[in-house]
Amino acid sequence: MSNSETPLEKGTHRERSGHMRNNGWKVLGIATALALVGGACTDPTVAPQSTLTTANFFQDPNSYKEFLAKIYLGLAVGGQNGGDGSTDIQGIDGGFSQYLRLYWELEELPTDEAVIAWGDQTLPEINTQGWNASNTFVNAMYYRIYFQVGMVNEFLRQTSDAALASRGVSASLKTTIQTYRAEARFMRALSYWHGLDLFGSIPLVTENDAIGAAAPKQATRTELYNYVVSELNAIRTQLPVAGPAPDAATYGRATQGAADMLLAELYLNAGVYTGTADYANALTSASNVINSGLYQLNPVYKNNFTADNNISPELIFAVAEDGQHTQTYGSTNFIIHAACGNSMSAGNYGVDGCWYGLRMKPSAVDLYSAGDVRGATIYKDTAWVEGVASLSTFGDGYPNPKYTNKTSTGGTGSNPPFADTDFPMFRLAEAYLIYAEANIRGGGGSAATALGYVDSLRSRAYGDTLHGVPSGAFTVDTILAERGRELMWEAHRRTDLVRYGLFTGGTYIWAWKGANAYGSDSTGVATNSHLDVYPLPANELIANPNLKQNTGY
Amino acid sequence: MRLGRFIAAALLLIGGGATLSAQAVGTIRGHVVTNDATHAPLAGVTVSAGTHRAITLADGSYQLTGVAAGSDSVRARIIGYAPQAKPYTLQGNDTAQVDFALEAQAITLAEVVSIGYGTQKAGDLTSSTKQITDSSFNPGAVVSPQSLIEDKVSGVQVVDNNQPGGGLSIRVRGTASVNASSEPLYVVDGVPIGNGGGISAGSDPLNFLNPDDVESITILKDAASAAIYGTNASNGVVLITTKSGQGRARVEYGGSFSSASVTRLPSMLDAAQFRAAVTQYAPGAVSQLGSANTNWFSLIDRTGMGQAHNAALSGSGASNNYRLSVGYLDQDGVIQGSSTQQIHVGVNYNQRLYNDRLDLKTSVQGARSYDTYTPGGVLSNAAQMGPTQPVFDATNVATGYYNWPGNSLTSADNPLEILNNATDHGTTYRSVGNLQAKYDFSNWEALRGLTATVSLGYDVTYADRVSFYANDIHQQTKNGSDGSFYEAQSQQGNTLLETYLDYQPPSLLGPGALDFTGGYSFSQSSARYPTVSATQISTNAFGDAAIPQAGTLITSVDVEDSKLISFFGRVGYNINDKYLASASVRRDGSSRFGPGNQWGTFPAASVGWRISQEPFMQSVGFISDLKLRGSWGKTGNQAFPNYLFVSTYGACNATAEYPIGGQFVCAFRPSAVDPNLKWESTATWDVGADYSIFGQRFTGSIDWYSKHTDDLLFTVPVAAGSNLSNYVLTNIGSVKNTGFDFDVTAHLLDAPPNGGLSWNTSFNVSHNTNTLLSINPNIPGGASNYILDPTSGIAGGVGSTVEVLQPGQPVHSFFVCQQVYQSNGKPEEGVYLKPGGGDTATCARGYNTVAEHDPAPHWIFGFTSNMTFHRFDFSFTLRAWLGNYVYNNVASNVGDYRELTDGSSPYNLNSSVLKTGFQTQQLLSDYYVENGSFLRMDNISVGYTFPWQGERLRLYAVVQNAFTITGYSGVDPTAGLNGIDNNIYPRSRTFTGGLDVQF
Repeated sequence: MSNSETPLEKGTHRERSGHMRNNGWKVLGIATALALVGGACTDPTVAPQSTLTTANFFQDPNSYKEFLAKIYLGLAVGGQNGGDGSTDIQGIDGGFSQYLRLYWELEELPTDEAVIAWGDQTLPEINTQGWNASNTFVNAMYYRIYFQVGMVNEFLRQTSDAALASRGVSASLKTTIQTYRAEARFMRALSYWHGLDLFGSIPLVTENDAIGAAAPKQATRTELYNYVVSELNAIRTQLPVAGPAPDAATYGRATQGAADMLLAELYLNAGVYTGTADYANALTSASNVINSGLYQLNPVYKNNFTADNNISPELIFAVAEDGQHTQTYGSTNFIIHAACGNSMSAGNYGVDGCWYGLRMKPSAVDLYSAGDVRGATIYKDTAWVEGVASLSTFGDGYPNPKYTNKTSTGGTGSNPPFADTDFPMFRLAEAYLIYAEANIRGGGGSAATALGYVDSLRSRAYGDTLHGVPSGAFTVDTILAERGRELMWEAHRRTDLVRYGLFTGGTYIWAWKGANAYGSDSTGVATNSHLDVYPLPANELIANPNLKQNTGY
Repeated sequence: MRLGRFIAAALLLIGGGATLSAQAVGTIRGHVVTNDATHAPLAGVTVSAGTHRAITLADGSYQLTGVAAGSDSVRARIIGYAPQAKPYTLQGNDTAQVDFALEAQAITLAEVVSIGYGTQKAGDLTSSTKQITDSSFNPGAVVSPQSLIEDKVSGVQVVDNNQPGGGLSIRVRGTASVNASSEPLYVVDGVPIGNGGGISAGSDPLNFLNPDDVESITILKDAASAAIYGTNASNGVVLITTKSGQGRARVEYGGSFSSASVTRLPSMLDAAQFRAAVTQYAPGAVSQLGSANTNWFSLIDRTGMGQAHNAALSGSGASNNYRLSVGYLDQDGVIQGSSTQQIHVGVNYNQRLYNDRLDLKTSVQGARSYDTYTPGGVLSNAAQMGPTQPVFDATNVATGYYNWPGNSLTSADNPLEILNNATDHGTTYRSVGNLQAKYDFSNWEALRGLTATVSLGYDVTYADRVSFYANDIHQQTKNGSDGSFYEAQSQQGNTLLETYLDYQPPSLLGPGALDFTGGYSFSQSSARYPTVSATQISTNAFGDAAIPQAGTLITSVDVEDSKLISFFGRVGYNINDKYLASASVRRDGSSRFGPGNQWGTFPAASVGWRISQEPFMQSVGFISDLKLRGSWGKTGNQAFPNYLFVSTYGACNATAEYPIGGQFVCAFRPSAVDPNLKWESTATWDVGADYSIFGQRFTGSIDWYSKHTDDLLFTVPVAAGSNLSNYVLTNIGSVKNTGFDFDVTAHLLDAPPNGGLSWNTSFNVSHNTNTLLSINPNIPGGASNYILDPTSGIAGGVGSTVEVLQPGQPVHSFFVCQQVYQSNGKPEEGVYLKPGGGDTATCARGYNTVAEHDPAPHWIFGFTSNMTFHRFDFSFTLRAWLGNYVYNNVASNVGDYRELTDGSSPYNLNSSVLKTGFQTQQLLSDYYVENGSFLRMDNISVGYTFPWQGERLRLYAVVQNAFTITGYSGVDPTAGLNGIDNNIYPRSRTFTGGLDVQF
């Protein structure tokens, strides 16, 4: 203790001034050099190496195809892992949020065609048009649409001429990428169609908007419609032309036929979307598909919905599913599992179990008359009743195992827990029906041709030519009923009923329409027309202050 | 002289009572000199008697005139010297001569304190900065340097995980982040270690530093001091300075041996209680019960022996000084399988050249740490394995250990089987070094006062962590893992270049003196993290020495590079040591952010007023020194992963592919991203005072602060279409910490030179209130405006969490239901208050869960006492926390009778079930949220110093963690930072005996 020192007390030193000066310059020189070397470094940018970013991902020529695969996969699987893991959107279970499962539910459950038994929070209300702006499933659909839009926009940004040039992409790959870009734009147009159809006026975001920029502005339904139509017209000739099924090159992908079908859907509903009908163009687009000669009705109706429906020459655009490689709890796998229950044997449909969910409303069962093969799959076992007394009882209402994981030859799909069955988004039969409806509604064309198209569907359904459309009955109402029979459970019904003005209101009442989803009274009542479009998510109105909620919500 | 001071102080205390007589006046005059060999005159000393006051001149002389005749005392004081008082007797018209020889005293205010890029006298500081030097460090078996200052600094919470050399966490003035780190920035000899920048296979990344080599630890608590470190400073800065040599060459050796034992373990049913419970509540399982009486914990705990040896050679020459040190430390944990073993080397060399104009400093610290860990599952199974069951089973040919019949997922495992058939260990090599050249340009007239410093630093780490679980142990076979092997080899290198100029103009600038510092800093980090993990391994023959054939083998490599480029400047202005001002700014460019957000500016400003220097304060006799301070500053926090600003492409797996052109193509998805991601930023106000009163008998500081952190990172919903998914990580939340710190050090008794009793104490108290202000404006208000805290996972149920992030509440508040009790105090099973209280309901998350209490202590007290008597020394340190709560997860998980029937074999129960009688798990009952307030005797030490051949030798004994007084029923009320006591490593009590010798 006693010898503690005062710290760093300097002693006295002799002055050696000249020597020191020289050294001083040396030191100063070194210090300055170091400072300059260091000072020159003012760029803190570091490129990530172990994570894939735009900087390194696109160095691989396969990356463009891999990104495009995601755009398609966004409809096929709910996330990056099979079984909808690593979900694309957050805040909801991955299987619940699978694109086609949500789309199917929103197009079918509130109509006269289907009910679902499950009590998942806010799901029962969809059976009865009882949703509000906080409905989990409605909200998830909204975010699914914008997930697709976001993926496509980013793909387009990353494949712009400037971006490709900066990466020195080869000419041949560049040509391929131009096709990919057209496909991506088709996929965006498809989702925007779903968006404007389901939700009405929603934001229009394109590749020209930067990521993370200000909350997007709402576009009118007409603006969206015009945008989607112009996009499709711009790309239709850039898309590949389908070869005879099965065509590996275009399997599961957007083709010119798909673009024409989507245009036909848009034009057919133009009156709903813009207030101005455009049946002439609907008819033209349908004709383009029909006259392309690329598609034929599958002689066997049900083979459009089998594990091997990829070989059906009738499918114009299908979302590819695969039990091994493309596994989801949504899409057709959901419909097959959920339309099975009670005494039904899952094995008969090529799957591993039943989920006890989907049945038909009686109004849908009643569309079919005896001998119509399209109604033959309806499971009218004696243990079932046609009436849906209780939404949650699987024995109330007939299941319709129209989709199956069995092949056309009776084999089972590759992996029973996950169906191989592709989701048939557009098929030739609908092109016929669009032509016919457009013709009746004054869109031009030939009435005889139109009638012939419908009769060809009916003769396939009955296996004879005796069940053509009766004379004088070739009306829009006939077409609606025919659409119901032909396109049962194919996610068109809500759009059709809205176009016919029957989805809401009191003109057409079916079981559970407007009823209390948690009650026991299945009697339908008139509903308010604001339900013709779904509400924007309540949380979205907070996240995006530019948005105005749809009227009535 | 010490005796004199003691007497003088005693006189001072009674001075007020001294009588003054007569109206006659006289003069007191004298000289004030230093009490050392030079007896240099002291100018500027304040000398006073009664209301009379004078300042000594350059020759140290003073004169007080007009002093009333009589007997009283006259006192002399100046900063840096112990004040003195001397009695005088004065006749009318007479002159009394009173001379003083003041003893230099390293009191707080004269101390040189490390600050960012320099040092400063404590007296000139205008910020809240606290330095602890080695003489005040905690004694005993200390593995990690952070432990040295535990309990010593107000506003600083030190939490350790109880393992030998365990990972220590420090919170300076509360938690200021949720998704980024809340740990302070460590700077070792000028090299920033960086938040989370230290990778380690060991317990604590700072363990490379030998605690014995640490000279001082300085905590920069407020933004005024920390903002010079900019983007890494939001959680405070800890500056660690290592020892350097001085004086003649000397050798020091310190050696100690220690013995540690467990203090408290979870309270589980014994064999008789377990049998009774099974008989009553699970009669079907009685047949499974054995007849043993096994105390599983007593089979896995042990007395942990330890030893530490440190040797150092140090000294100084005319123009250099040096210190070389080596250290060895070996400490066993109190649970088998855990230990730490460290070899340290330290070199500090300082050479002055060119007439001391050039000062070269080298500091290199390095260590190899070898840590072993108790394998996962040992502690939890020791709690849950049936005490009626035997340890061994001869029929188990694989391992020889008993396990419950069947190979079920739902039964406990034999903890000894795991302990003896699994290993987990890590080896870390780490070195941090610095070469600094400082040149003083004062020999050029034009550059007088200018110094330039260039500093080159590095921080390199190689770490290897290996674990191995044999393929035939029950824990592995029951879930199909069938053995596992894991190895992670991390390597990281940081390099640092810093240059700065310091300029102190030789003449005053206006009324005051200017001090300017400005510089540039460039640091770069490269890291590589390869890992291998294998399960379903084919053979145990290799142990952890090779990768066996395995059913599943996953390898990964991650390369992480980052850069931080900074410009910084500080200017100080000092008018007569009375009016002080300082301002600093740092501009940081970081690779963690995207274009447009890479650069951030972090300014700070502070002012000080040494009010005790004002004439009107001179009459306030009891104040030796008083400085009022105020500051504001902005700091940042970028302690989160690299590259968050850039969208990354995640690969698919083989079950989520899409067919394109006849083949299934793996889909790559770009992630949603906020390209404008930026720092979390904290604005801090601090108002405080440094004081020294009663002749510097009491010194310390008091501070009030308010820290407001904005731009907290959260993952939140974003406007659809504006990004690549519907949620994105962005800067959106804010949190506030307000509180006060108070420190006092009291020199209660000064020993006379021949060795009487001396007694110093220091006491600190801090209070902090943490409030989460907002998390997510995109979610509507009310009950839904919260996020379940994903870091608060508990055992019991699947994915259960028990804490919440809710605006208006402290971060990590417990989120539980309010238990209803019977009149006899027993909890009513499954009955809870409804929202708003009153009525009752079952517990439903989102309905009647409420945010209540939080794991952070609201009050922290530290008290240290040091006594010396002749050659004996005696010290102790006490700590108390008030207002911290702990969730007793062992009790909630297995504190109900259903655990007897829920699995294929009964789990042992926590003895809380005897009080609650719960039939089923009540995981969200606030019954399990216990008040964790405690008083703990952290250490007691006694020592005896021998004079030994003119040098010294000290023998000492220390007991650490002597006792804890708490109402908490679980293992340890300082249960980690998150307040969840789920089979945590128990706290140990350690007895250490050792000697220090110096020759």
